[in-house]
Amino acid sequence: MKKILIIEDDLLISSLVQFRLKKDGYETLILKDGNEGIKAINEENPDLIITDVMMPFRSGIEIIHHARKEKPDVPIIVLSSLGEEEEVVLEAFNLGVSDFIPKPFNPNELAIRVKRALR
Amino acid sequence: MMRRVQLLSALFFLFFAAKGQELDSLFGDSLQLQQELIRQQTVANLSFQFRLLEEPDSGLDSLFHFQQTDSGWVSEKELNWAKLDSVYGILADYNPRLEYVIYQEIAGQNGLKNYLKTLIRTGDFVPGYYPDANTVDLVLEASKDVFQPLHEYKLRILADYKLFWVTVIVLFFLITAALMITSMLIFKSRRNKREQLKKEYDELIIEPLTSLLFEKDLEEIKQITKSDIIDLFPEKLFAKPLFKQVMIERIIGLNKKMKGDFKDKLKAFYKTAGLMEITRRNLESNRWDLITTGLVQVNEMDLSELLQEVKKHTNSSNFHVRSQSGATLLNVSSTVNLDFLRDQKYPLSEWQQLNYLRIIKFVHNTKSLELDKLFASENPSVRLFGIKLVRMLGRLDLLAGLRELSEKASDEEKIELLETYGTTGAHMEVDFINACIQSANPEVQLAAVKVAGQLGDERSLQLIIELFAQNPDFELKKSLMRSMKLLDSETFDRYTQDQYSEEIIQLRAHILDPLLTHV
Repeated sequence: MKKILIIEDDLLISSLVQFRLKKDGYETLILKDGNEGIKAINEENPDLIITDVMMPFRSGIEIIHHARKEKPDVPIIVLSSLGEEEEVVLEAFNLGVSDFIPKPFNPNELAIRVKRALR
Repeated sequence: MMRRVQLLSALFFLFFAAKGQELDSLFGDSLQLQQELIRQQTVANLSFQFRLLEEPDSGLDSLFHFQQTDSGWVSEKELNWAKLDSVYGILADYNPRLEYVIYQEIAGQNGLKNYLKTLIRTGDFVPGYYPDANTVDLVLEASKDVFQPLHEYKLRILADYKLFWVTVIVLFFLITAALMITSMLIFKSRRNKREQLKKEYDELIIEPLTSLLFEKDLEEIKQITKSDIIDLFPEKLFAKPLFKQVMIERIIGLNKKMKGDFKDKLKAFYKTAGLMEITRRNLESNRWDLITTGLVQVNEMDLSELLQEVKKHTNSSNFHVRSQSGATLLNVSSTVNLDFLRDQKYPLSEWQQLNYLRIIKFVHNTKSLELDKLFASENPSVRLFGIKLVRMLGRLDLLAGLRELSEKASDEEKIELLETYGTTGAHMEVDFINACIQSANPEVQLAAVKVAGQLGDERSLQLIIELFAQNPDFELKKSLMRSMKLLDSETFDRYTQDQYSEEIIQLRAHILDPLLTHV
């Protein structure tokens, strides 16, 4: 079973994403801030990371940096309200993220992109 | 009671009348007055001297140190009135005249009388007081009389009114501070409890709401009954206003971040769960913050059923309520009727205009907006906003409406109209532009000259030449030259070439420089 880390400070969004991904048979772990996210990247062995950008303690960009260094092969999907800000999107892609989904988003669309990233 | 007061008044009157008579008798008889002064021995700054008309013999002179004056010989001043009789006895043969001296000035009977009255008032002269009396006895007598306050209080503090009031004030501050600290602690603990409850409710809401969104389709959510809701959420909690408030906040938060059918499902659930009633109550509230919350809820959840309630707030005296209700109507209403904006009593702020413009830009392609209604508003800021909207949205079909408005436009509206004509390329409005070039208002004139460069005709050129000849200020001169160049290069050259004015030479160079076209 593929393991997905969901790093998101909005519990309702992360629960919604978790609910949807569980339906597709993934094992999911919710982390509610940047610190928890970095710890989970080190300790868990994720197959995919879904992360927000604006979060307490550590930003999504820091998480991507860390993940690229520690787990260079793990695909990352960024889920953020900063989707309209070109600089953030470009920086995320420069760091090597697999996908960028701006909020508002459709969880079903996210599920399809997750499947594609894990292929 | 009244009789007692009358009696007291009479006693006071008699006391003061007797006192007055005593003084009158004292000052009425000079001999008696002298006797009183002798008894007193000394009176502050009051001395006596004798004046002789004949020259005293040398023995007397050595005793009293006479000084010769124009009106006789004056003895040395003596402060001890007890010596009066003896001095008089020695000088009796010379028929001496007694003179009273106050400080260094000789005083008559009246002067002395007034001086002594003043001393009586201040307590420095007490008629009938004998300095030789045995004062030790008096002190002893006084010490035998134990002090008794006028009023006996159980508490000693009450006997001293100053101490009493200081104590009252200190106690007041202490009690106020204690009350404030207590109320702050209560407020903080309530808020913490509320936040804690919100977190708990949050966790209780997330799971059922998530499963509802994924497991039920839109039609099923629309059919949800009260018993279904009780199955999803605990009945007792669902009856609590705070639980519903948390649910509303969660649904609105999620609605902002969701897209597609999830949005529709959330809106449908908002209505079937009866949360719309809370929004309605918010809108009917007297508190502006609750009304604004209600308006935001209508806006976010597209509650078109509540638009009538929203309309009631479009002319609210509260800025936030007014702005939010306008934005909500523009967003939610399927056929946006701009009557509410036309009938605005309050001036539209720049922030409101930007906010409405953002919404109108977004909705004007999908909803029919009768912008020309705004031209008929009695509110000048609304009319100005209407003109700006024509320009921003490129609504050429409304230029005819602007022409009607231009006939009675204010100077501010004229400037906005000119800018709009310039942006939309309204050549047919050249007469209006020419009229504005002749305006007495320099700002209108400047705006008209700028637009005339693009839309002007021969008459405009003529007016520009006339204005240029009047040597106007720098800004207008620059615009005149630029428009002249745009209308007719030859005329421009004729009027600006071979000029002695340094300003015109520089402006000409600036206008002719292709790199500075927009500078």
